[in-house]
Amino acid sequence: MPYYDKSEDWLHQSALLLQARPATTRITTRYNLKPAHRVTKAEKAAAAAASTTSPPPSTANAASKKPPRGHLVLKTFDPSSGVCLKYKTSKAAEVGRLVQMLGTLGRRMAALPEVAVSGGGAQDEVMADAAAEAEVGVGSGVQTPVPSAAAAAAAAVPAAASQAGGGGKGKKKKGKR
Amino acid sequence: MGVLTNEEFFAKLAGLFESGKNKDHGAIYLTQKRLSYDQEDALSKPTAEDSFADLHPTKPLPVLIRASNNKGKKKRGEKVKLSTVVEPADLEAFFVRYAEVCRAGMAALKPRDRTKRKAKARKKKVGGAGQTAMSAIP
Repeated sequence: MPYYDKSEDWLHQSALLLQARPATTRITTRYNLKPAHRVTKAEKAAAAAASTTSPPPSTANAASKKPPRGHLVLKTFDPSSGVCLKYKTSKAAEVGRLVQMLGTLGRRMAALPEVAVSGGGAQDEVMADAAAEAEVGVGSGVQTPVPSAAAAAAAAVPAAASQAGGGGKGKKKKGKR
Repeated sequence: MGVLTNEEFFAKLAGLFESGKNKDHGAIYLTQKRLSYDQEDALSKPTAEDSFADLHPTKPLPVLIRASNNKGKKKRGEKVKLSTVVEPADLEAFFVRYAEVCRAGMAALKPRDRTKRKAKARKKKVGGAGQTAMSAIP
């Protein structure tokens, strides 16, 4: 199964899968670390040659390398039907939002009513999401923030009490750009 | 390892993230699923007329959270496996803490890139300066 481009899509599809198979579906979050610089064969050979003659310089070289790169993969998998949904990111800004998503999906796993999900916390989360998307979208064009704003508005509908504030916030973001 | 309390789980998870910080490779796996083991009072057995009994349990079920560094047989000594059970009532609070621990632990992810925005702002400034200069000439 390919990766979804947007975490919202992943969340939506995962929610549907959980709805269908709440007992067997599991969500795995993988946090991966990889060296920033891949060692090529020639370098390896050189390092080996160097280490046989003089080991200290090669280790010193390794220590001065860049910090490792990390990425995060979210996977929803249902072993009984074989459905696998994935989302991948390497942005630190997304972590909080993604764990919030894990929380909303966790509620579904626990068979708690959905309505409570769109309470105060969830709405704040959606707004933060819109803000993050707007920032990401600055470079890439006008297209991206629009659906997120729409999603925020849609999410705001159930919680009618605090809708006005949320709507204003969204508008502000739009004006800024 | 047996099931930890939520507090212990967070403490050990933070330690697990910390142990990965000074290495340049590795992975940490976090898993969540419904705890259906030993939950007879919430889950009735599927019957002929109701074969999807798990779709409508009589009461909310706990969620099982696992964390591991997936070390294999050769490195069994380094293997860490943590698990905890979150009661439905504690879910919200648990995930708030969970987000904090994850944000702190996943330090190798890319921080937010502000260079683009800065470049744009600079461009705007330069453009504005140019205009004023143009108007100042005649």
